[in-house]
Amino acid sequence: MSTKSSNTIDTTDDDNKNSNMKYDASEEILVPEESLLEEVSMLQLGDSFFPTGMYTTSSGLETLFYDRRIKTKQEVIEFITVCLQFQIGPADCAALSNAYDFAKQENITKIIEIDNILFAMKLIKEIRDASTRSGRQLLNCLSSFSNNNLVASYYQSIKNKTASGIYPVALALAANSLNIKKERACLILLYGFTVSITGAALRLGMLQHIEGQQVIHELKPIITMVIRNNIQRHFSHLWQFSPGIDLVQMKHERMDSKMFIT
Amino acid sequence: MTFKRIPRVGIGGPVGSGKTMLIEQFVPLLSQIGYRTAIISNDVVSKEDADRMRRNLASERGLMPESLVIGLATGGCPHTAVREDPSMNLSVVEDIESAHNQELDLIIIESGGDNITTTFSPALADYFIYIIDVAGGDKYPRKRGLGIENCDLLVINKIDLAPHVGADLKIMERDAKLIRKDKPFVFVNCKTGDGIKEVADNIIKDVLFDIPPKTTKN
Repeated sequence: MSTKSSNTIDTTDDDNKNSNMKYDASEEILVPEESLLEEVSMLQLGDSFFPTGMYTTSSGLETLFYDRRIKTKQEVIEFITVCLQFQIGPADCAALSNAYDFAKQENITKIIEIDNILFAMKLIKEIRDASTRSGRQLLNCLSSFSNNNLVASYYQSIKNKTASGIYPVALALAANSLNIKKERACLILLYGFTVSITGAALRLGMLQHIEGQQVIHELKPIITMVIRNNIQRHFSHLWQFSPGIDLVQMKHERMDSKMFIT
Repeated sequence: MTFKRIPRVGIGGPVGSGKTMLIEQFVPLLSQIGYRTAIISNDVVSKEDADRMRRNLASERGLMPESLVIGLATGGCPHTAVREDPSMNLSVVEDIESAHNQELDLIIIESGGDNITTTFSPALADYFIYIIDVAGGDKYPRKRGLGIENCDLLVINKIDLAPHVGADLKIMERDAKLIRKDKPFVFVNCKTGDGIKEVADNIIKDVLFDIPPKTTKN
């Protein structure tokens, strides 16, 4: 690639000498700049490279692995599906959606209310703590490159201990501040959860690397369905019900030897 | 969260090199002077190291409250937890700083055992100690690696084993000087305490800047 003029780049390379394609920076692109910025911001927040520490959790999968209750790829998919449908969807995803709406209205009081409700719904201390740690670190990182008054107010509430900083609410505010649409913020949440558990399965040796991608691919329709089912849920109707997984997660919390925070 | 930063020392090194025992040796020396410390112990598969330090340093010797020895599971990624994404460690550090800013002088962060490329994020640790042991062979520190080259203090442990494993301490000393240029290194035996005072002195000079302890112990 060589620069021919100040705004024209010759993309000719060995594989494509005949096409002589040129990119002219002065040409108008079809996709609006705001839309591209939103997409890039979505990729940034949804990337496992974004420092939230979510790679440290397995949501109880580690216990099921050591108890030999989950062995196959299909069983990993079923585990993540139950978590998404009965924990993350009706609780975290719905809380994110409501917090996002109140962020649009700049209603910090309601945002804190949702934070407190979701915090109280998380039965397992390690999971509760991990979620608030991830949320706080998300806001901490976000504040280093983006200024937003609502994020600052929420941050202050965490400092004053009136809010916990639980991850879905923190993500809602982060997405709002970066102009990421609500449904895409939900995608970041559910995709991030799916990747973190799939990654845990990979590190535990339950899956091979290609299988990990197959798991994520197979879960795509579940992720979108869970979002459709919960994005309109009012915050007074948040719920979660997965007693079997709750018990597994409680057992994991008490394990002496483990790789993951529950 | 922004709280007044308490100085932090990161300790990394291969599995079994003596990270935990090094802490168990120098913390009492700092405590004798009056410095108060907290410990975050990252462990790959258990909280055994944290439990041991809590028992040895807090429960039995009363050098710190039991609540200030904190074990952290890192999802099997010891280097990620202290370098690429130190979020979980930073969050624990912030909790400690918000609750104990007035009295704590130092936070020690022990990495899970890892390979010789371990380094600490400067956002997490102000000072980085890397520990190796002679049982790995006298090819270290010649083999280099980010940890050995870049740490603020290189600690070479288990010097008593040198004759038993055919390691020549003179070669290790020569290579450490060559690789690390002007940066310090120290030979220690964490079983007997040999060389540990030099480690504590380095921390007092280069991390605590010879500032007296914040509070006087009762």
